[in-house]
Amino acid sequence: MFTFIGNLRVIWTCLKKDIRSALTERVFTIVSVFLPVNFLILMSLFVLAGSHAPTAVVMLDNGPYAHQFYHAMDNAHSFSLRTASANEADSLIAAGKIVAVVTIPADFDSRVSANQPVQVGVQINNLNTDFTNDIRRAIPLSITSFYAKAYPNLVTITPRETDWYAQDTDYVPYLAVSIIVVSLMVGGVLQAGISSAKEWENGTMKEMLLSPASRWAVLVGKMLAACALNVVAVVLVLFVVIGIVGVWPVHWGEMIWVTLLTMIIFVACGTLLGTLLKRWQAVAALTFGLSIPLFFLSGAFGPISFGTQATQVLAQIFPVYYAIVLQQHAFHGFDLNTYGVGGNALILGLYALGLLVLTTLVLRRSTVTH
Amino acid sequence: MKQSRTETATITETTEQTQTPAIEITDLCKSFGSFHAIDHLSLSVKRGEIFGLLGPNGSGKTTTINMVSGLSMPSSGTVRVMGYDIRHHARKVRQLLGAVPQETALYEELSAWANLDFHADLFGIPRKEKKERMTRILELVQLSERKNSRVSTFSGGMKRRLALGRALLHDPQLIYLDEPTLGVDVQARRAIWDYILSLHEQGKTVLITTNYLEEAQVLCDRLAIIDHGKLIAVDTPAHLKQIHGGSVIEIESEKPLAAVEEIRALEGVKDVLQDGAHLTISTQGTSNVVPQIINIVSREGELRNIAVREPNLDEVFLRLTGRALRD
Repeated sequence: MFTFIGNLRVIWTCLKKDIRSALTERVFTIVSVFLPVNFLILMSLFVLAGSHAPTAVVMLDNGPYAHQFYHAMDNAHSFSLRTASANEADSLIAAGKIVAVVTIPADFDSRVSANQPVQVGVQINNLNTDFTNDIRRAIPLSITSFYAKAYPNLVTITPRETDWYAQDTDYVPYLAVSIIVVSLMVGGVLQAGISSAKEWENGTMKEMLLSPASRWAVLVGKMLAACALNVVAVVLVLFVVIGIVGVWPVHWGEMIWVTLLTMIIFVACGTLLGTLLKRWQAVAALTFGLSIPLFFLSGAFGPISFGTQATQVLAQIFPVYYAIVLQQHAFHGFDLNTYGVGGNALILGLYALGLLVLTTLVLRRSTVTH
Repeated sequence: MKQSRTETATITETTEQTQTPAIEITDLCKSFGSFHAIDHLSLSVKRGEIFGLLGPNGSGKTTTINMVSGLSMPSSGTVRVMGYDIRHHARKVRQLLGAVPQETALYEELSAWANLDFHADLFGIPRKEKKERMTRILELVQLSERKNSRVSTFSGGMKRRLALGRALLHDPQLIYLDEPTLGVDVQARRAIWDYILSLHEQGKTVLITTNYLEEAQVLCDRLAIIDHGKLIAVDTPAHLKQIHGGSVIEIESEKPLAAVEEIRALEGVKDVLQDGAHLTISTQGTSNVVPQIINIVSREGELRNIAVREPNLDEVFLRLTGRALRD
């Protein structure tokens, strides 16, 4: 009765109807488009805020060694330095605007020249141990760097660095790529999940189930609509990452198909959640509740192989991890695991297929119990 | 010769099809774990009749309907719709069925036209016919002028009419209406009744679930009363009242009667309800019992009024199930 053409018609009509419905609910559509971008901005701000400890340096000595020490601190990648007078520095730390005050004493150059011990004053606002430990680690590192430059003959142990990759990648460009995946997850699950749940809430799913149309055709139509609506959010996120953060993909083609595959997986995941939970508030709460832990778990900040065995096992249960691996490869050329691009893509493909089959089964089951 | 055989086969098939009941439920059971929602239910709905399914909440009406429409599969027993077994031809049955669910299930954010357009595509209505059918249906339910308005701006009655029109769009042979007039005003209720009766005139089979016994009485050719998943009775409304109703005697006396138990003990008296000086006595047959009741009442004081009437469906329902329909 329902031929291939008939099923295509069902897919098209479900796609058209969902887009039309979404466009009438403008506030929701705007929120679902801007939410992933919001995620990107929030996470970037989080990283930027935590990456460098704001520190004031009181330069009581302006000799060459004192300046060399200042530059050693600046190159430690841990401080956001500014010079200040003793009074200014006191006011800044009292006001909570800086984490530490480093005072280079007036006799710094003369004592260093005479090979005499020098005490560099370090005052720390230790309300946050994360920042406190950054300061405690970075000051000795700066001292070592200073000595290595000032007295190359005295420091005999030096690193001989061999880099695995041709270029260094900063923290933000690495993280921004992971955030693309999380944005795809949040956008896809919300868009598809809420759309499906609303069909149950409004009773309109019953109309579809009472029609002779194939269940899978209805599902595919709904998923394509969610993908189409999600594309706007994805383009916006990619524009921010590529155009504003300045992270250009090494492999453009791979970036596009990984993005599309990731979107399909999370749209399928959202449809499944919406069909299971049948309440849009529950879908929204679960999406927000799961997205942050999955983001942290799945190697957003660095390869999971650097983590514990337990987190590695846990991360590999979820598709977010494989999507991050592939997206990091597409943008930076990184190989974050040993499965290769094909292996990771196959796993993601199986997730997509599995979720589609599972959603169809759940829909059939829902049909039975409704 | 070959052509003649084919014609004969077609005629036989058509005759068989018209003779088969619209719905045939045989020994139907549906269990959810240890709970038996439907317990060996058997009934048959003839083609072209308006058939009412009555039962209190939780009696198994919706479960039965879900199995008739293929939304749910039976634990055992069979359901045939227009001769098609729901287990094997669920999709075919859905094509033959037009459903108007209680909640109307319309896309409120879309226009009436867009709702019908979506339904037409889901049911595979040919593109060439689609526009013409949609226009005709909107005229039928008197919503042509509002075809481009969002459904969210419609009144409850308009939504019901649109849902009814949507169910008719693919020209189904069997139409199922779940509480068709729930929550609509009296005027809209009358209009919906007229639509349903016009379907009957067109030869469509209509299956209704309702909690309004007045509605069942006006619309239905036959009624089935189910309770706890079991069929309690099935017949025409008039016959149900005749067989299960007996008569009701309404008595107005001078003062509240003390000898209520004496009346209750009379042979043929089924129930006595006392409300001050007013007595409602349900009986099975009246010939002998009425003079005896008059005697008892007159002994205590003046008998001001007496009326013997046929019971209404509410009373029949109460008698058969032991509870009111809205319990």
